[in-house]
Amino acid sequence: MTHSDVNNPVRSWIIERVLDNPKKAIFLPVLVTLIMGAGISYLVVDDDMMAMLPETLDSRMSWDAVQDEFGSTEVIFIAFGNKDQTIYSSKSFSLLWDLTKALENLDQVEKVSCITTISRIDSENGFMEISDLQPVRDLSAKQIDKIKQYLKQNPTIKQRVVSASEEYFNIMVQPYEDIPHDVMRNVVVTIGDSVLPAEYEVHYGGTAYITGSVPTMIRNDITVLLRVGLFIMAIVLMVNLRNPFAVVMVFAVIIQSLIVMAGFMGWMVFVTGSERFYFTIINASMPIILLTIANSDGVHFVAKFFKEMRKKKDTKKSLESTMDTLLVPIFLTSLTTIAAFLSLSFAPIKQLMGYGVCISVGIAHAFILSSTFLPAAISLKKWDMSSKAVTRPSIFENLIAYFGKTVTSNPKSILGVGVLFASAGIVGLLYLKVDVNIASFFRPGTEFRDSIDFIDQEMTGTMDIRVRLEGSMKNPRTLNEIINLQDMLENNNKVTTSFSIADVVKQMHRVVMDDDPEFETIPEDQGKVNNLFSMYSMSGDPEDFSTMVDYEYSVGLVTALSRVMTTDEIISIVNKIEEYVGDLKSVGSASVTGMAVVIRDLVYLVVQSSVISIVMSVILIGLITSLFFKRIAWGMMAIIPLSVAVVINFGFMGLAGIHLSHVTALLASVIIGVGVDFAIHYISQYRRLSKISEKNMLTNDVIEDVGYPIILDSASNMSFGALLFSAFIPVQYMGGLMVFAMISTSIGTLTFLAAMAELLKHNLAGK
Amino acid sequence: MRNIFIIMFGISISLGQSGYEIAKRLDEKDKPKNMVNRTSMVLTNSKGKTRNSVMITKTMDNSRCQLIWFLEPKDDRGVSFLKIEHDDRDDEMRIWLPAFKRVRRISASKKGDSFMGSDLSYEDMTSRSLDENEYKRLDDDVIDGRDCFVLKVTPTTSLKSSYSMHKLWIVKDDIYIVKEESYDKREKLKKDKSFSYLKIDNYDIMSKISVKDIQKNHRTDISFDQVKVDTNMDEKIFQEKSLKRIPKL
Repeated sequence: MTHSDVNNPVRSWIIERVLDNPKKAIFLPVLVTLIMGAGISYLVVDDDMMAMLPETLDSRMSWDAVQDEFGSTEVIFIAFGNKDQTIYSSKSFSLLWDLTKALENLDQVEKVSCITTISRIDSENGFMEISDLQPVRDLSAKQIDKIKQYLKQNPTIKQRVVSASEEYFNIMVQPYEDIPHDVMRNVVVTIGDSVLPAEYEVHYGGTAYITGSVPTMIRNDITVLLRVGLFIMAIVLMVNLRNPFAVVMVFAVIIQSLIVMAGFMGWMVFVTGSERFYFTIINASMPIILLTIANSDGVHFVAKFFKEMRKKKDTKKSLESTMDTLLVPIFLTSLTTIAAFLSLSFAPIKQLMGYGVCISVGIAHAFILSSTFLPAAISLKKWDMSSKAVTRPSIFENLIAYFGKTVTSNPKSILGVGVLFASAGIVGLLYLKVDVNIASFFRPGTEFRDSIDFIDQEMTGTMDIRVRLEGSMKNPRTLNEIINLQDMLENNNKVTTSFSIADVVKQMHRVVMDDDPEFETIPEDQGKVNNLFSMYSMSGDPEDFSTMVDYEYSVGLVTALSRVMTTDEIISIVNKIEEYVGDLKSVGSASVTGMAVVIRDLVYLVVQSSVISIVMSVILIGLITSLFFKRIAWGMMAIIPLSVAVVINFGFMGLAGIHLSHVTALLASVIIGVGVDFAIHYISQYRRLSKISEKNMLTNDVIEDVGYPIILDSASNMSFGALLFSAFIPVQYMGGLMVFAMISTSIGTLTFLAAMAELLKHNLAGK
Repeated sequence: MRNIFIIMFGISISLGQSGYEIAKRLDEKDKPKNMVNRTSMVLTNSKGKTRNSVMITKTMDNSRCQLIWFLEPKDDRGVSFLKIEHDDRDDEMRIWLPAFKRVRRISASKKGDSFMGSDLSYEDMTSRSLDENEYKRLDDDVIDGRDCFVLKVTPTTSLKSSYSMHKLWIVKDDIYIVKEESYDKREKLKKDKSFSYLKIDNYDIMSKISVKDIQKNHRTDISFDQVKVDTNMDEKIFQEKSLKRIPKL
């Protein structure tokens, strides 16, 4: 075959340019890789879960308002002490003092709340004093006893600063609003570990700690396991292709695509400054997804090339034939996959738009590399025509014949089994649960989980629920409603404590009334409440209230802390609170926010995003393939096995109790991305061979032709099963689901799609 | 020739004065025996939100005795405050809470505590004792076209100050402070204060104070009007019963 044998002018032009000027065809895409890759330096990693919520969402607006009025609510807790030893010792107090001062000296820290920093209000013989609870670093036994007594009289305060067993101190560190959590986590842990001696147990927790630690840990974990996966992939490819150069070339396509994707992401941040292109925890799956897609392009090309070499024994002719056969399917698979990913732009989580656009650029570059760089590089190599890679079929190639025979002889049974699997998948969908709580990303028993659990169980809990109330915070009716709201919150057994400005008013009232506990109530008239605030401002710092009430006393914040809840529990309690605050009479408006609400809303967004992206992808793929192949039937053939694979995958998750999270939700994209590739390669070859093959041998021939690259691609991608060894539950799931997705898409194509095509061959093959 | 001699003499005096001597001149400056004024205070937080207060203030003995009645905001009207500084014991502070009809003695155990949510602490409002600070003269400076001495004032440990040091800009001609910077214990700039004065009965009377807490990004602007000095004020008014009735100005 010469260039002129290629009957399509565009294909002919490309083949001519690439094979006649191979060095140029290598240089240009590599140059693009280098230019795009330079953008990696502008890549911004953002671990803020809140950034995933749309700015117009109620809870996001409320969250932003709370951060603006009351400072950051995402805090880090530090607990230190020792089991079975009282924390009320002079040494522990000195350490607490040192740690507090060191933390307060950090530029990232806005406020530290613990025994050292909180004020006490005392009343004695008509004398009211507001003073430091811990007046000096080194305390006498008498001073320690005084603190102990004060905390005993004020259990709500005690709960926040000392563990129930009085064995640990609790310190709450509030960062400035604009400090990234990973930075905050690192500085706090560095200070904590340097100030506190090894003889003390130290535990860290809190939203800022978890969200500041987990994304980096996940990224590092994925990076290590990804290397293991790539190594296994190289072995799988090597065993089947039996040529190191071919394996290196497949990897060159993959790696360059990854560089372009990451670099483009960086350039987009540089050019637009948009948060949509930040690398968040959601984007952690991007490299794996692109790897599988780029691998698919490379594997299909190289496998086909060897097959042609076996027949033609001529490098150039084999390349021409391979390019002629694969340029269109690879272009079409890239186009449909890009369309599928661009459909993420319709998802409510805004980072998904950046995800879709950047991965699309990576896919486009993989196509360019497979169509130019790869054939050009292969053409420059002198091939040994007597090598095993050329002369003998591989293990997988031998297996393929089995599929062909089975499908041709039992198409109805295969279709029936497929329908059965799909039905089971639909049932499984009913059991699918969503969990986006990062705290549950770790199995109990791991060091990180134990630390979080310790803070959660021994202290006040680290999950926060905030209720922002608009109205006069000096009005006794409002303050009483706040007290009732706090009672309602504390009725939930997971909620450990709650606090608000109403608690302070009650405490001041008691102090003014000669410390009579009967007066630990909200005063009956507003004049008295006004007087209490005036009195405090004369003696204490009104800044002490800054986390509970705004500057003008017109907005109040009720904070409830709870132990870690399941996503279902979160949804239930947040809905109850929203219903309750909706009925409050004396407040202008009330909104619920906090990490619990963020998690609830994220659940809805993850589900919405997944459904939108799956439905849009399937529609777009159906449209593109129908248009390209000029027949709706082909479009349907492309999307039916794909949809079945998605249903089976999510159904399997439901049946196996694997939760859908913002990390695993995007797995549908792998199924769609890879699944459509397989389907299009199958359909292209089916159409091509239908012109030359006997009808009764058509399915056999198609499977023999495309089956090998599909199985090889799928098997090599299964190497990401290495992710099963991750310390993180969602990453483990991702590894397991990758294997499952590869099996369901490849086998699905070679059986379900093949059986459909076999049954409809009289309709399809003739046209 | 005579004028040149006077100028040269003046310069030599200015150059020759030590930090302590300048502080002593400031301390010995004539002050009214007592003073009555209407004080307006505007607090502005980092987000630009403000709180306004209006008070009647009576002071005696260089503000060692002080009575404040709140007129505004409406929520605080009637609340009043009495402070008497003592050398040998803790300062006396009392507050009248009209809604409770009770006087409560209060204490600010920390000198750095804010007064009425402003950027002035009790320490800022307490007269600075000459011998409890060390003074160092720095290079002279010009503020708003006026030549100023610049002093570094370091509180001695006996003072138990919440500051590590202050820098004062003192107008050379009239010897009054126009600017002061206060540094926290970490020697980071904490407050930037500026002062304006009016000449009343030969006294330089403060008419405006602006304080900015650099670290909290919070600001306090205080202005004094209807100022009367050396009135026939009786020292007996500085007692609890005076708190209960707002006087006429």
